[in-house]
Order: sequence, then structure tokens, then C-alpha cells
Amino acid sequence: MPQFSTHELVSLEKDVESKKPLVVTNPKVIDGLYEVQKCAEWITKNSFQKVCLQFPDHLLPDSTDVALKLQGILAQSVYVLGDTSYESCCIDYVAAAHVDADAIIHFGPTCFSKTSGDVPYLNIYEKHPLQVEHLEAEISQIVNSVEGKDLVIVLDDAYIHYFDALRQRVKNAAVHKIVEDTLDVANKNVVFISENQRKLMNIGLGFKPKTLYLYDPSKPPSELTLFQEDQKILKRRYFLMEKIRDARTIGIVIGTLGVKNYLKIIERVKNLAIAYGKKYYLISVGKPTVAKLANLGEIDIYVMITCAMNEIYDSRDFYKPIVTPYDVEVALNSNARIHFTYDYNSYLNNLDEKLGLAKNENETDVSLLTGKLRSNAPANENIEESSSDSQVAVKGNGSLSVYFGAGYLSDRFWKGLEQNLGATDVKLAEKGRNGIAQGYDNETH
Amino acid sequence: MVNFTVGEIRVMMDKKRNIRNMSVIAHVDHGKSTLTDSLVSKAGIIAGAKAGETRFTDTRKDEQERCITIKSTAISMYFELDDKDLVFITSPDQRDKDTKGFLINLIDSPGHVDFSSEVTAALRVTDGALVVVDCVSGVCVQTETVLRQAIAERIKPILFMNKMDRALLELQLDAEKLFQTFQRIVENVNVIIATYNDDSGPMGEVRVDPSKGSVGFGSGLHGWAFTLKQFAEMYAERFKIDVVKLMNRLWGESFFNPKTKKWSKQKDDDNRRSFCMYILDPIYKIFDAIMNYKKDEYESLLQKLGIVLKHEDKDKDGKQLLKVVMRTWLPAGEALLQMIAIHLPSPVTAQKYRMEMLYEGPHDDEAALGIKNCDPNAPLMMYVSKMVPTSDKGRFYAFGRVFSGKVATGQKARIMGPNYVPGKKEDLYEKAIQRTILMMGRYVEAIEDVPSGNICGLVGVDQFLVKTGTITTYKDAHNLKVMKFSVSPVVRVAVEPKNPADLPKLVEGLKRLAKSDPMVQCIIEESGEHIIAGAGELHLEICLKDLEDDHACIPIKKSDPVVSYRETVSEESDQMCLSKSPNKHNRLFMKAQPMPDGLAEDIDDGKVNPRDEFKARARYLGEKYDYDVTEARKIWCFGPDGTGPNILVDCTKGVQYLNEIKDSVVAGFQWATKEGVLSEENLRGVRFNIFDVTLHADAIHRGGGQIIPTTRRCLYACLLTASPRLMEPVYQCEIQCPEAAVGGIYSVLNKRRGHVFEEMQVVGTPMFVVKAYLPVNESFGFTADLRSGTGGQAFPQCVFDHWQILPGDPLESGTRPYGVVQDTRKRKGLKEGLPDVTQYLDKM
Repeated sequence: MPQFSTHELVSLEKDVESKKPLVVTNPKVIDGLYEVQKCAEWITKNSFQKVCLQFPDHLLPDSTDVALKLQGILAQSVYVLGDTSYESCCIDYVAAAHVDADAIIHFGPTCFSKTSGDVPYLNIYEKHPLQVEHLEAEISQIVNSVEGKDLVIVLDDAYIHYFDALRQRVKNAAVHKIVEDTLDVANKNVVFISENQRKLMNIGLGFKPKTLYLYDPSKPPSELTLFQEDQKILKRRYFLMEKIRDARTIGIVIGTLGVKNYLKIIERVKNLAIAYGKKYYLISVGKPTVAKLANLGEIDIYVMITCAMNEIYDSRDFYKPIVTPYDVEVALNSNARIHFTYDYNSYLNNLDEKLGLAKNENETDVSLLTGKLRSNAPANENIEESSSDSQVAVKGNGSLSVYFGAGYLSDRFWKGLEQNLGATDVKLAEKGRNGIAQGYDNETH
Repeated sequence: MVNFTVGEIRVMMDKKRNIRNMSVIAHVDHGKSTLTDSLVSKAGIIAGAKAGETRFTDTRKDEQERCITIKSTAISMYFELDDKDLVFITSPDQRDKDTKGFLINLIDSPGHVDFSSEVTAALRVTDGALVVVDCVSGVCVQTETVLRQAIAERIKPILFMNKMDRALLELQLDAEKLFQTFQRIVENVNVIIATYNDDSGPMGEVRVDPSKGSVGFGSGLHGWAFTLKQFAEMYAERFKIDVVKLMNRLWGESFFNPKTKKWSKQKDDDNRRSFCMYILDPIYKIFDAIMNYKKDEYESLLQKLGIVLKHEDKDKDGKQLLKVVMRTWLPAGEALLQMIAIHLPSPVTAQKYRMEMLYEGPHDDEAALGIKNCDPNAPLMMYVSKMVPTSDKGRFYAFGRVFSGKVATGQKARIMGPNYVPGKKEDLYEKAIQRTILMMGRYVEAIEDVPSGNICGLVGVDQFLVKTGTITTYKDAHNLKVMKFSVSPVVRVAVEPKNPADLPKLVEGLKRLAKSDPMVQCIIEESGEHIIAGAGELHLEICLKDLEDDHACIPIKKSDPVVSYRETVSEESDQMCLSKSPNKHNRLFMKAQPMPDGLAEDIDDGKVNPRDEFKARARYLGEKYDYDVTEARKIWCFGPDGTGPNILVDCTKGVQYLNEIKDSVVAGFQWATKEGVLSEENLRGVRFNIFDVTLHADAIHRGGGQIIPTTRRCLYACLLTASPRLMEPVYQCEIQCPEAAVGGIYSVLNKRRGHVFEEMQVVGTPMFVVKAYLPVNESFGFTADLRSGTGGQAFPQCVFDHWQILPGDPLESGTRPYGVVQDTRKRKGLKEGLPDVTQYLDKM
């Protein structure tokens, strides 16, 4: 049915922009690197029938080799998930559901978002090189200067295969894996082994260690660098929060179906919007792009519900700003006492259920963006119209004044096709174009 | 003792013909507040002996300490006029037949140019203005500015020559010289009035004339003043001439020969100018006798003039005695009161011709008629011109003028902000007025209700207004016009709390500050910095102090002052710029070009604006700027914010579906003009032309998502290919100083990229006036620098004048604009470096 859905050729021929360079692994080491044996054992042990293999874009070139090898061992077919719906660090339950999969093997970098689905999954991490001696030397340099001496090394997923090696060699620090569920480094001195700046920021913001050092093995000479909260990102929150308070219509964009509590946070954002009399729309557009979000001109601000690793929050190319659920919480709930984080799960359970205006808060205040007055109360309570139930109120002088929710439409220049009644010649029906709008049959790109 | 009660004032409020709403306006340091004291003391609010020193209307501590008025202050006073003076009021609209009393609502305003927004707010709620001019320094830049504003608001002026004591004691001018000085000032003032007022207009003739009594002379500091009327009355009996006729003879080219007892129009050997002979001579004699301790002489003079001194004053001598004598002989309060009551319009008179300037709605609806007739029984129409802080932190009195109807405690009213549009709900609240109050300088008095024609304060509406607004009971009322300020907030500082945990208090404080000052802007930038923008350094200094002490009550860190820049272009784009939409199906072809000189200013001033009838606008643009009239008819929009000084012109011919994408293109244009390509500053003076558009045949593929970002990209490409430039704000500076200091001024100005465009001597004085343009960015510390460069003799008045291109190519590293762009980008958290045109430009 090419008339009703995107032609498969479009997906197959689409250029994927990968931020990371593509990885092509020598077929000889694939077994080891992708732990094919371990995967096969996991599948057989649990006797899964339909297994999906999820690769991030930069590992896709290896996907066929891995899949073929697995199929060879298992004598059953496996599925490769090509186009990840949202972020490749999260388990893509939706894509897996297309084949009704009963298990997912996730390759490559992960995030620490808790997962929402109930399909069992297995993470296979990348294996990046690390010079253990160098790291040890670096650590011993700082170990005496840190306060409290409780130094913790946290390994990013690509370095987990050094876990045992490090444990044995580095005596003056505890070693942890980033993927541990019980990872708790609050108020400790942490050395994070990773090449991912964003993950570093998330650890800094989410786990609140006393000090946080980064050791990036991919950029020799790797040195321990102290992480400092990026004041620019924190400061920009003030601007965004003011934008949220100014906004009349909030777009809640679904950017994940795999992160735990995503429904709960959507509910939370909705309730906050309602308490302040703001309209909201729930939007699902797949991967959000500038073009997609600019289609909804009347939305003043977008809240992305997505994994904390998503870099969309820092983009300034969008027509309307994109904010985190945290920003909405703090902007619209004056009781919120939470520290900035991209990961809503880190505060969601500590929130006060009570919403609405705090007692000492005024019904109105001044916007620090426009200098105009804005109302904090649910809409339309300020004016008591004598005929508030009808949409049309009769004006004193006999003319009509119209009130309706989508009043902004009346300000638009374009109000629909011009009918030109009577001015257009009557013609017999002609054969039009064939195909769907994305690419008609007679069109060439 | 105050010689009236609130009850009496309330009774007077109903006698709308006997009300005078007036502001006192002048150049800084010409003695407004000091002069105002004379009236305040006449009303018994302060002691006569203290008048001139108290500056009762300077209510703030810093105003008293710095001896400068910062905020305008209102005070209501009640006076009675003598029967002999009442006859001078002839119009039936100017006085109730059997009422002698007058209610004067006076607003004392600041003279420093940084606070001229306060003057604008004061003028709006008054009908008349007492223009004070220091007769030693003459008409100054701020005198002209405030006078021009007054005339534009249809405020009738009267003139007062202040600081006569200085002319006599310090400059020792002889009588004829002093007369010349006075005459020149009167002429200067009348020239300004004639420039901005149309005598055949509804306000009629507004020029000031000493022989009519609309010009006063005297000394606010010493508390004495007179008009020709006072002297004419003294002499009327002796000459057996009617007072009015005599007043004419006491001014101008009118000479008297004491030997022949003949009046003449020409000077000859035996006659003397009547003004010098009959008015200045007695004053000179008293000054001479007292200041030179000629006791016998002045005692006989006092007797002749019938001045009886109080016992305790008899022992005084020198300046102290002079003050007492002059004050007893020619009390300033009396002369001022007569000038005000006789020459300034009552609300009944004034509102007739002011309505059409004030009301945005149709000029024949209930509200308009209510204003025109100053009708207390019509629907309420009140304009709130400013917010006055109360002792209750964060709360304000909404201060304004009732133009029609009555405002009462407990009354339910519609509160409409400046963005209210009839029929819509935006910026509209319906609330009860908690209390109406009378503003009495540093005190307030509760009052039950206030009828049309009066000035008062409201409690309980501050939450629903930011700075100004309209309060009405009439459901179909339109707004009263928003005030237009003569100054712009071009100087900015970033503030943050010393203790980061205090941030919520800072934000709350900024919101309060935004309310309490008519012009300050408190904003959060994209980068998250909290910015305060004001007219000048002094204005900012006061705002910061208020923020720290009164509004936020926390210690604050502030950045160095900076200015905001504008982005513009200097040539037409060197190529046709093409941008394709993300789906590659839509193409926009555009170019940018600079606007002709003057057009951006015309848009700022509203002479060219989006609400104009498009044909008339096109004609204007064609005539004045040589624009092609057919193109000028197709201006799609102004931007940023729909009104800014950039335009988008449709130069296409016969493009299909073009109308459909107009909204999206306009949205992209608003976006790009608000955040320019160089450093996300506003654009200024750029005209964009759309030459061609190719669009996908299907509506779904030319929606906002495809067109808005593409328009922005295309406009950015246009800017980058049209030799982009930065513009900086420039002050016009007027500096008054003795000749010896002029050289010092030049050297200070040269160091700061300023240039002098006018230098002249003030006629009749040794003072020079230097006028110069000075980039605002170079003005920080200018005042102090100038003082030290001229030995403290020069004092500048700087007011924003225009935007000027900062020389140099911002795209070339090492130039000054390049540095500015990089600094701005860094501050805003943008990628450092230069925008790359290939990012925005597509190939066919």
C-alpha cells in the first residue's frame, strides 16, 4: 500500500547522519568484541524465540556480521533493529514490538535511564582501550589531596572490561561500573573513566559527588580534569523558566518510550500546566527535528520527555525553545526544591503532590522577558462576562465580538483556500498525480 | 499648620472648574523643588521660613542628600484667591461663579535628563506646566525637551524666571542688562513653543507673555516672586491707569519720562524703560540698602513699601534680612498661585482639547464624551501614569488622573494594560479598587471617592498593571494612549545576588523595580543573565540602589555597564540568496539592502507603522525615500515584534501559493530580525526583498516547519552577503561651562570618540554651550572625567539621540566590531567565531 505509508525505499535510501565515525571491525575479532558466545548462551538458556539486536548508528556496519554469526550458532533467525526511534542508548521496545520480540540485545553505549519495558534485554558494551598503568599513576597523584580519601572510580560502559584489572591494581580507590543499579557516589570523590562529556555532566548533576574528575582515555595524554558545572547551562535555565511562565501553550514532546516513568512525568507536566492555566498538547513526532516542531506555530515552548543523554536540550536552532521537565517543574512549582538535572527520574519520586500557586504568590506578575504582565491563574477567571457560557457576546453597539480558544487563528493572514466562486471555469475531472506527498511518482529529487 | 482638611479638598474636587492640575518642569538645578516649597508653605504644610530649604517634594533620602529630584511627587493643596484677582479669570470654564477656593494638584518633576520619563508621566496627568528657568543660565537643553513634550501633550505652559537673587548678588547685572536677559529667555521659550504648537490648533495661543502675567520673576530660594500684575496693582492708583493696561506698559519697549510724565515707545535721553524704573529699581534699592547695611535707608524703604517685619526678624541683617523683607513684600506663593489660577486651564477647559490626544477609541463613544466634558457622571476613565512604592514592600499605589466619571473605594472596575485590545481578554482584569487615596508629598490620605478632573492614587490594582494602564467601568472602552518617552533604555548592567541562594529575591526585586520606574527594563537574556536597562548611568545607579535597598533587600553584584548593539547592513546583498527548505522542495530567493537614512527613525517614531493604510504609506515612502510605490504597497511586515525598524517587501511577480506561506515567512522574519546573524542582537534599518519563491504544490510540504526555518536561513544569508555592520547608540551631550573650560571639554570628548557639532556662547553670560555626539559606550565615567578635565566647571546632560554604524567590518578579525561581536557571542553562550554563510546559502 504505497499510498498510505512511506515507501520502503525512502527508509532504505535515507542518509543517516552519524555524529560518531562509523566502526568497521575486522570480522576475526567480532566474536570477542560483541561477545557473540555470551549472547548465544543467554538466548538458549532463556529459550527466546524472537530476538532483536539493537545497534547504534556507528556500530551498524558490524551488525550483519554479528547477526550472521549468531544465527549460525543458534540456527534461528535474529532481527537487527536499524532505525532507532529515539535515542540509541535506550532500549528500543517499540521497534522490537514490531516483530513481537521476546528479547533484545543492546550493543554499544548505554545511558543510565531506568527502563520502562518488560522485555528482557542484555547489554553488550563496546570495548575501548585503557592504559591501566597510566590511570593508576594519575590517580595516585591526586589520592592524597582529595578530602576524605574516599576515592571512587566509575567506569563508563566502554571500559567495563577493565573492571577486574583495575580492582586488582588500584588499591587506594573503590571501583564501580556505571551500569550498577545501586551506584551511589553522592558526596564522594569520583574519577569517571569515559569519553562522553555529556555523561560526565549527568553524573555531576544527577549523583552530586563531592568532586568529579574526568579521565578520558581516548584523548591522550589523558589527564584527570576536574569537572565544573557549566554555569552557562545552569544560567540558561533562568531564561527558559521565564519562557515557560510566559508560555500560554506548552508542547509535550514524547522523545522516549523506553525510559522508566515517562508516562508519570508526562502526567506531572500536564498537571503543572493545568495548575497555571496553560494549554498543553501532547506531541509524538518520532525524532524531533527543527522542521517538524516549527509546524506547530502556536506552541510557545516544548518540553522534551526523553533520555538524559539527548543533546536536543542544548540546541538553539529550534524555532521555539526546548526545555527539560525539570525546568517546567521549577518554573511552575514554587515549592520545588530540586537541583538541576536532565534526568527526571532522579527527582520524580521526591515531589510534593500539591500543585498550584503558593500562598504568598500573586495572581499576576511581570514577565522578565517582555516586561508585560502575565497571569498565573487558570485562564479566564479574571473576567466575569455576563454571557460567559456562549462563544459570542453581543457588543453594545450591535457589532459582534468573538471569543474562542483558538483566537490566534484570526490573526493569521492565510485563512484558507480562496474559493473564487464563479470565477473559475468548470472543467471535467482530470487525472492528477499519483503517489504520496513525500514523493509523487512523477517527481524526481 | 496645614490650612485645609481632606474634607475641604474633597468638596473642592467636585468643583471641577476650580481645579488646576499642573506640573513643575525645568532643566536640572533650575530650582523646581525649591520653588515648589513656596506654594507648599503658602498652603501651611511647611513653615514659611523653611521654604526653599525643605524641598518638601523631594521625599526620598537620596533626593535630599544629593539635592536632586529623582521621582516626581504629587501634592494636593487648597488656596483661596482674593476677589480682586478673581476678576482676571474670565472664562466660565475656569471658575465656579461663587467659589473662591482653588484646588491645586501639583507634581514636582526631576530635571535630570536620565529621569525624563518621570516628567512624561507627570505631564500626562496634568493640564498645565510651570516652566522654571534659571535666569542666569537661561534656556537649556532639558528646558527645551520638557517644553516640547508638554506642548505635544497639549499642556499649557507658564514661565518662571528663577534665581533672580543670583543675578543681582553674584552677577551684579544692571537693570537694563537684566531686562534684556529676561526678554531673551521669554523669546527663547516662545520660539520653542511656536515650533511645536500650532496657534490655530485647539489649544489656541500658548505663548507666554509677561505683560499678561503668565511670566513670573523671583527667587525660589529666598521665597519671593512677582508678576507684572503685582506691580501694576501697586502703581495703578498712583497712575490712575487700569491694572491690565498698566501691565502692558510695564514690559517691553515702553519708556516713561518722569519729567514730562509721558509714556513713549522709544528710548530717548530722558526716559527710562518702565520695567527697569518701576519694577527693578525698587528691588535693586532694597538689595543695595540691605546688603550694604544701610540701615536708615532700608528702614525708610520698608516704611514706604508698607512692609512690617515681625519682631523676631528685626534684628536680622544682610542676606537673612533681605530674605525676610523680600518674602514679606513679594511672597512667592501668592504670585505663583495667581499665575496658576489665572493662566493655567482647569480640567474642564483642558479635557475639551486633550481628549482626542488621549483616547484611542472612537471620539464619540461614551468614554470619549465623558472625557471631553469632564463629566463625573459618565463612565469612569482613569489613566494610571506611574506606580508609587508604598511602605508595604512590593506593593504600589497606582497614581493617575481621573478623566471621566468617578473612582471610588470598593468600586469594581476594568483594569486594562497597554496591550489590551477591545473585545479580547488579553491584559484585562476586572477587580475591585481597594482604596482611593490622596497623594500629599510624603503622606497619603484616604478619601472616599474621586471625581473626574482630579489626580489620585489607588490601592489594590498594582497587581494587575506593570507601569501604566487604563481603569474604566465602561465595557466597550478603548485604552487611553500609552505615553511616549523621550529617552530610551540604552545602558545595561547585569546583576546577580552576592549569595546565589538569594536569586528568587533578586527576581522578585527586579519585578518590583520594573513596576516602580516608568522606563527601566528588567529582563532575563537568553544566556540567563539578569539585565537592568536604563537611560543613563545615574538612572541605573538609582535603580540599582533601589533594587538593593528597597525591592530585593539583598546585596547585589553588578557588571560594568554595557550598551546593546544593533545589527544592520551597509550594502545590497552581492548575490541573490537562495535557501532550500529541509525537504528541498521549496526555495526562497531574497536580498537585503540598507534602508535610506531616516526611515528607521520614521518607523521608531511611528510615522511609518504597520497600522498605516498601505496606499498612503506607499505614497509617503515613494515621495520621501524614493521607494517604488508598487513595491512599497507590498510591505509584508515590520520586525522585530511586528513594529520594529526592519521591513520585508514582496517583490515577486505572480508566484503561486505565495499567500499561503506568508504567515510562515513573517514568523521567520520576526525570528531573524530579533536575533541577528552576527550576535543575536536586534536588526535595525534593513529592508529584505523577496524576489522569487518556488513552492511544492502540496500544502503539507510548504507548512511552517519547512518555511519558517528556511526563511531565517535565507535572511541570514542575505545579511552576511550585504556587508553586515554593527550599530551603536549615541548620546547627544550638552555641556555648559565657562569659556576657559571649553578646551578641556574638547580633549575629554576626543578621547572618547565624541565630536562637537555646535559651540556657542550663551548671550549675555560668560557661559558657553558645547553640543556633541558621544557614543553611549564611551560615556561611562564621562561626567567624572569631564569634571576633572575642567576643574569641576562642566556638567554634561546626555540623552540618547540616534544609532550610528560602528566603523569596521565585523566579519574581519581584529576590527572593533569583530571584538564586540565575539564578546557578545561569548556572553550569550553562542559558539565563538563567525557565522558561516555556507550554512545558510544553498546552491540551485
